[in-house]
Amino acid sequence: MDNTKEWHWFKGGILVSLLSVATYFIFAALADRNYPFGITAGFGFISAKLGVLFQGLEANPVIKRFGEKPDAFIEFFTLIGLIAGGYTAAKATNTFSKENIPAVWEKYYGKNLVKRYIVVLVGSVFLGFGSALSGGCTTGNILQGWAHLSLGSIVAGVSFFASGIITAKIIYLKLGAANDNN
Amino acid sequence: MIIINILFGLSVGFIFGYILTRTGVTKYPRVMGMLLLKDFKILKFMLTAVTSSMILFYLLGDLGVLKITLKNLDWGKFAGGLVFGTGMGLLGYCPGTMAARVGEGKKEAILAMFGMSLGILIYAFMFPLIKPILLAGEVNGDISILLGINRWLIIIPAAALFSLIIYFVNKNFSDNSKIF
Repeated sequence: MDNTKEWHWFKGGILVSLLSVATYFIFAALADRNYPFGITAGFGFISAKLGVLFQGLEANPVIKRFGEKPDAFIEFFTLIGLIAGGYTAAKATNTFSKENIPAVWEKYYGKNLVKRYIVVLVGSVFLGFGSALSGGCTTGNILQGWAHLSLGSIVAGVSFFASGIITAKIIYLKLGAANDNN
Repeated sequence: MIIINILFGLSVGFIFGYILTRTGVTKYPRVMGMLLLKDFKILKFMLTAVTSSMILFYLLGDLGVLKITLKNLDWGKFAGGLVFGTGMGLLGYCPGTMAARVGEGKKEAILAMFGMSLGILIYAFMFPLIKPILLAGEVNGDISILLGINRWLIIIPAAALFSLIIYFVNKNFSDNSKIF
């Protein structure tokens, strides 16, 4: 068996669903509520810690929620686990690489790091703001929310794709053009 | 108890990150390929996970061993979703895959983790303004209650629809097409 080959989408999907259901049980016992596993609250935990740098944020409901609820604390460690899991999988498949920016981006927009990093910063601030406002990211609103058939998550997930598709189209308007010039 | 919480969080993240990276859904060309409607591996992966866990969740729910918390609908879901999608298009990955990418050695993802936290902080600052406009007037998140029908009359068609989408994109699009 080839250890470096990507897993089939079906295998990955089934494994995620098992993880998702198992986590739900354990989370309910630990965090005292039926809470699906997510990622956003883990970042919220970091935001709450950054929030202490600012005056008057102690009473802010968002900061309080992410700073005090046990699920945010657990999800912060989920983030660290994700980094370790990504590292282990990359090492196992020999795909670990210290890359500054994605190769595809470089092909279309050049090697300029500052340009890409500005886009990364703006994009990730949008991700943070958007996931806090819509109550979850791809994990919370699609992997969990769609599986629960939550009306809020269905709307959020469809909006993710709608604006994501438009943005991607704008960024790669000249798709294939870089190939043609070669 | 704190140690258990920490170990639990770490293990869930580790398994999730391992699956994400091994399946190849953390890759920038794959996420952008999906948003450009050319590479559907991520969509197939997500819809498989959604369909499988949907059936498991509701079977276990009917057996009374699990209680599902639904997310209600408000304007924030729509507006936040549009902001999130724009961010995903700019970045080429989402919050979960972002963390896994840090582990894969992708340096820009560290900056993205900072930006994501900053985005939530900005949201916290704006929350008093946003709340009365976007988060008022919630609609119950349970479609079966809204429609007044049995839950399985939604679950089964939804599972069928997701399976059909998977079948259609799998038949018509390759996972390894050279897009860029």
